Amino acid sequence: MNSNEARGEGNQRGTQLLYAGIDIGSLGSKAVVISQNGIKGCAVLPTGVFPEKSGQEALETALANANAGRERVRYLVATGYGRITAQHANKTITEITCHARGAHHLHPATRTIVDIGGQDCKVIRLDNEGNVADFAMNDKCAAGTGRFLEVISNVFKVPLEELGDLAKGDAPLVPINNTCTVFAETEIISLIARGERSESILKGVFSAIASRVAGIASRIGVSGDVFFSGGVAKNYGVVSALEAVLECPVYVPGFDPQLVGALGAAMLARELGVRV
Amino acid sequence: MVLQAIEKMRAALAWRPEELASARASGRKVIGWTGYNVPEELIYACGMIPVRISRGGSSRLAEMGANYISTQNCFFLRQCVGPFAEDVDPYIKQIDALVTDTTCLQSHRMSSLVEHYFQVNLLQLGMPKDPQRPEARRYFAHEVRFLVARLEKIAGRELDTARLAETLELYQNIREAVRELYRRVWTTSTLSWRTVNEMVHAGYLLDRVVYLGLLQELLQESKEDPGEKLPSQSVRVLLAGSPMAPGDNKLIEIVEKSGAVIAGDLLWSGFAQFTDLDFKECSLQGLIDSYLDRLPHAALPFMEVVTDRKLIKLLDVVRQSGARGVIYYSLRFCDPFSFKMLVTKDYLKLAGVPLMEAQTDFGEMDIETLRTRVEAFLEMLAIRS
Repeated sequence: MNSNEARGEGNQRGTQLLYAGIDIGSLGSKAVVISQNGIKGCAVLPTGVFPEKSGQEALETALANANAGRERVRYLVATGYGRITAQHANKTITEITCHARGAHHLHPATRTIVDIGGQDCKVIRLDNEGNVADFAMNDKCAAGTGRFLEVISNVFKVPLEELGDLAKGDAPLVPINNTCTVFAETEIISLIARGERSESILKGVFSAIASRVAGIASRIGVSGDVFFSGGVAKNYGVVSALEAVLECPVYVPGFDPQLVGALGAAMLARELGVRV
Repeated sequence: MVLQAIEKMRAALAWRPEELASARASGRKVIGWTGYNVPEELIYACGMIPVRISRGGSSRLAEMGANYISTQNCFFLRQCVGPFAEDVDPYIKQIDALVTDTTCLQSHRMSSLVEHYFQVNLLQLGMPKDPQRPEARRYFAHEVRFLVARLEKIAGRELDTARLAETLELYQNIREAVRELYRRVWTTSTLSWRTVNEMVHAGYLLDRVVYLGLLQELLQESKEDPGEKLPSQSVRVLLAGSPMAPGDNKLIEIVEKSGAVIAGDLLWSGFAQFTDLDFKECSLQGLIDSYLDRLPHAALPFMEVVTDRKLIKLLDVVRQSGARGVIYYSLRFCDPFSFKMLVTKDYLKLAGVPLMEAQTDFGEMDIETLRTRVEAFLEMLAIRS
């Protein structure tokens, strides 16, 4: 996968058929448009209050990046919790199956996927063909999800994307004892007031997230290469913490990890579209 | 097209509360019961009318029950209490006594609370935790005889051995008819599990002789004129785990709307009560032995895996029904059915059968997340097949 492909550059104009995947999540709506030759365009937009609208807008943005119109999309697969609102989709497929397809395409040696989204966390095990063999999810609690990190970034008053950088030093970790997002926020404020270093506290936060993931993963087992997807995978601190707790390297794709589900959906759209 | 036997069953159910009222007016007693090891046959053999009071799926009634029983108890048992508190259920209002057993400790607690708060005449049957020990068998035999004595007192007559033998034969015929219906679900596409499940639940309330007649009609009708043609390409799944009492349809509807076919179940509210319970002889001792030797309830601790009859039976039903996977219903706080859930999953995995746990309650807040899990599981099964 090269960066040109990832940026959707080098598009072919004309009538080449396209296949699209949209992933309507709780926080972000993502879209990826592919042809038989590779990725042509992609987009990430906030979901907001109207998931159907944000899904369509994400698709239109991805198509604009691909220099193409809607009429060239032969097949569209919608995934994510908002998939049922995608009336314009040809088919809906769960994000578990779509993440499996996307991850396997980007890194065929993947046998375990960790996906941390805005409001849920899932671990998916794949068989040797890249098909889902088992999965476990936590979507009842915001602990260990992107929402948790949003709350923490508000406490430290830094943008979410800079949180990981704040924990890059060698200060010792301060454990966070509360697993609940609300109580953890209170605990962190107390630690700051006590004079603990931001770096140490954030290491504790990332370790707490990683431990949460490890707990979910233990229900189905971790094997083979571990692939990390979802917006939280962009956080260097969480990646390190996850590697420490799982005791194995964690692969983060060069392709935007937030788009893995939409990519998988697009690939499934291509398979289904070819059969139609 | 609705099968005629089902239409007749629904009509009989609609009429049943009035029928009970009429029976009571003429002096007969109505005995409510709930509990895996309650020998309903004894109630009937004493000339009284058994009514199984299990219901599910109502968070409203569970909430009402939670005013009396701890919210750490399962939703099913909270809903068992709710109708007593509400006092509008036509069956609850007409029971002269309630028979329960102590198989599940939570159920034991529920019945004690119902007796205390609602002045229900409670007959509790003690159930040993290890039914194969000689001391346990003696204990259960004593408990059953004590139950008989109390039932006789309510009925105002003694248990007649001839009547008992006739009753056991009637119930045996009912079991065999239900088993045949399940076999029909497993091996043909002419009868749906949903239809059989509805008929099984009707059996909680209907007159036994009428019920047997309806079962036999359904068997005949589904043989002659199928009426139901089920999609043959859909993924088939089996339901197991916590009981799904009448009204508890949330998971069933999610599974069916996701395009899967429910091939069968091994639920106490469904098939499990009809399997592995054949009377060795039509006598009180024969009944006692049969209940002790039936498929054990999940609440009876059994640490072994390879010799666990529940696991062996589950795999057997999976194979007979042609199910590709098992959806395991874990009702929130239903501890007995969660004890060995992971062991069950591993056991089935070794046999190449995937299992998905569906942990939920009677509320509607988690419908979409549950749907995602079920759909992902079905997608996984579809690719494997």
